[in-house]
Amino acid sequence: MSEPLLSVEELQVRFQTYAGRVHAVNGMTFEVGRGEFFGLVGESGCGKSVTGLAILGMIPRGGAVASGRIRFHGEDLLTKSDAQMRAIRGRHIAMIFQDPAATLNPVFTIGSQIVRVIRQHTSISPEEARRRALETLDAVALPDPPRIFRAYPHELSGGMQQRVMIAMALSCGAELLIADEPTTALDVTIQAQILGLLAEIRRRQGVSILLITHNLGVVAETCDRVAVAYAGRVVEVGRVEDVLFRPVHPYTQGLLAALPRAGQAKESLLSIPGSVPDGLALPSGCAFHPRCASAVELCRSGEPALTVVGPDGHRVACHLFRREGAA
Amino acid sequence: MRWLGYVVRRLLMAVLVLVSVSIVTFVIARVIPSDPAAAWVGPHPTPAQIAKAREELALDRPLYEQYLRYVTALLRGDFGTSVKSHQPISRDLRNYLPATMELVLAAMLVAVVVGVPLGVLSGARKGSLFDHLTRLASVAGVSVPTFWLALLLQLLFFAKLRLLPLGSRISNELALYNPIRQITGMYTLDSILTGNWAGLRDTLVHLILPALTLATYPIGLAIRMTRSTMLEVLSERYILAARAAGISERAILFVLALKNAIIPTITVLGLSFVYSLTGAMLVEVIFSWPGLGTYLTDAVLNIDFPVIVTVTLVVTVFYVVVNLILDLVQAALDPRVTLR
Repeated sequence: MSEPLLSVEELQVRFQTYAGRVHAVNGMTFEVGRGEFFGLVGESGCGKSVTGLAILGMIPRGGAVASGRIRFHGEDLLTKSDAQMRAIRGRHIAMIFQDPAATLNPVFTIGSQIVRVIRQHTSISPEEARRRALETLDAVALPDPPRIFRAYPHELSGGMQQRVMIAMALSCGAELLIADEPTTALDVTIQAQILGLLAEIRRRQGVSILLITHNLGVVAETCDRVAVAYAGRVVEVGRVEDVLFRPVHPYTQGLLAALPRAGQAKESLLSIPGSVPDGLALPSGCAFHPRCASAVELCRSGEPALTVVGPDGHRVACHLFRREGAA
Repeated sequence: MRWLGYVVRRLLMAVLVLVSVSIVTFVIARVIPSDPAAAWVGPHPTPAQIAKAREELALDRPLYEQYLRYVTALLRGDFGTSVKSHQPISRDLRNYLPATMELVLAAMLVAVVVGVPLGVLSGARKGSLFDHLTRLASVAGVSVPTFWLALLLQLLFFAKLRLLPLGSRISNELALYNPIRQITGMYTLDSILTGNWAGLRDTLVHLILPALTLATYPIGLAIRMTRSTMLEVLSERYILAARAAGISERAILFVLALKNAIIPTITVLGLSFVYSLTGAMLVEVIFSWPGLGTYLTDAVLNIDFPVIVTVTLVVTVFYVVVNLILDLVQAALDPRVTLR
C-alpha cells in the first residue's frame, strides 16, 4: 500500500479527573488509505470516539495526548497550532456525529449553516457559497434543495438531518470523513440509506471514510478494512472478510459469537463474561486477560504487540496466537 | 402574516388586563383611610370647603359612577388632575415619562453592551481568572446599594475630577442659549432629530452617571443569565459539530451559541426595564432627574390618588407591551417557538 492518507501511531490519550488519571486511549494504531472505507469498532468506552476527536485536535477538556503520532498526508497533526488545525477541520477532515437532530444548530436555517462552513474555509461570495450549498444538498440526494436550504433543522426528519450533516461535511471537499456512530440514532431502514449514501460518496468522490461504530453488522456491510479496539488499543485489524469471518483474537471471536442471528434460539445467545475495564485501573499485560477463557500466565504480565497473522495486513495483538504460531 | 393575528389577540387581552388593573387601583385608592377632598383644598379647611370639594370631585357619588367618570375621561386622554399640584396629570406625564424612558433605556443599552459580552466570555472561559473576576463584578453589580454608588460616582467625577455634572438633564447654559426643541421629550433623540449637536453632547454628559448607576443591577443580571445559558449551550453537540467544521471561535461564541443563549437574558432585561420605570427613584433623586419614580413616590406620600392610579396604569401598559415584544423577539430568534 502506498502512503496512507491517515495513520494513527501508538496514540495515547489521558484524562485527568477527580477520581484519578483515566487511560482512554492506550497505543491506538491503524491506517486509513486513500479512498478507503475503514471501520473502527468496539464497545462504548474503548476509546474509539476519543480517537476520532483526537484526529481533529478536539480532545475534550481535561484530556490530552500523552504520546504517539497522528499523520495526515504524512504531516503530524499533533504538532499543528490551533489555528492550523481549525483550517484543517471542515476543510480537509470533516466529522459527522450520532443524533443529527442535536448536531444541527436549532435556531439557524440549514442553508445558513452550510454557507457558514463554506465561507469559513473559502473566500467566495455569498451567492456562490449559496450555489455550492445547494449543489451539496443535491449531491446527498435530498429532494428540493431550495426548500431544505430555507428549512430549520426541526422541520426535517432524522434521515434528512443526517444527509444535511453529510452535505455540510463534504461542502468544502474534505478528503477524510470521520463518521462517529452516524446511524445509531436512526431507524433501521434509514440506517441502510445513510450507509448506502456514504458508500456512494466514497465511490463518487474518492473520499476516505473512518467509520466509528459499535455495530459489527454495519462494518460488515460497508467497510473495506476494520480495526477492533479494546480498552483503548487495537487488538485485531485487517480486511473485513478476514477479521469478521476468520477472527483470531479471543475478543473479536467473543464479539462475533455474541451477535444475535435470526432464527437462533433465545437461550443460545452468548456474551463475554465480565465487563469492559475501567480506564482508571487497566489490567496488567493484555487488558483483555481477565475476561479471556484461554488466558495464560504471559497474558497477565506482557502487553502483546500487533503481529501479522494473515494476508493483506491481517494483524492481531494476542500472546496466544504468537505462541501457537511459534509452536 | 403569522404575527398579525397573534398581536391583535394579545392586545385585546391587554385591554382586559388594563381594565382589571384600573379597577383594583381605583378601589384601593378610595378605600384607604384618607380624605382626597381634604387634600384637594389644602391645610386648615372649613367643613364647608371640604363639602364643596367633595361635590366638585364627585366623591359623593357611588364608587362605580366615580370609576365610570374616570374611565370616560381617560378615553378622552384626560388623566385627571393632581390633588397636590392641581395640574393636569397628562402634562406632568409628558415631562416625567420621557425623562425616565431616556434614563432607563440608556441604562439597558449599557447593560446589553457590557453585560452580554462579559457573560459570553465568562461562560466560554469557565474557571479562568477572567471568569472569576467577571462573576465577582456581577455579584457586586446586583448587590451594591444604588444610592451609595451614585454618591461615590458624584464624588469622583464631579467633585474630584470635575469631568461630569452633578445632576439634572441639561445645563442651564444650554437651556438658555441652545434649547432643545421637544419632539419626543427624550433629549438625546430630540437633539439628534433637530440636529442640535451641542444639545446632544450636553445631554449625553448629563446622562452618563445616572445611566451607569442605574445600569449596575441589569449589568449584573445580564452577566449571570448570559453566562449560565452559555454554559448550557456550549455543551450542546451542535457546538462540538461547529468546532469540528472549523468555524472560528468568535463566530461560535457570538453568533452560533449566543443566538441560542440570549433569550433568557433579554427576558430579564425587559422586565428589569419595566421595573426601573418607577423603581429608579433613588437614582432620580440623587441626580435631580425629573422622572416617573420621583413623581410616583411624591404622589404616594401625598395620597395624590389620581396620580397613583395613572402612573400604575402607565406602567401596566408598558408591562403588557414589553411582554408582548419579548414574546415576539423570542419567536423571531427561535423558529421552534410557535405563537398561539
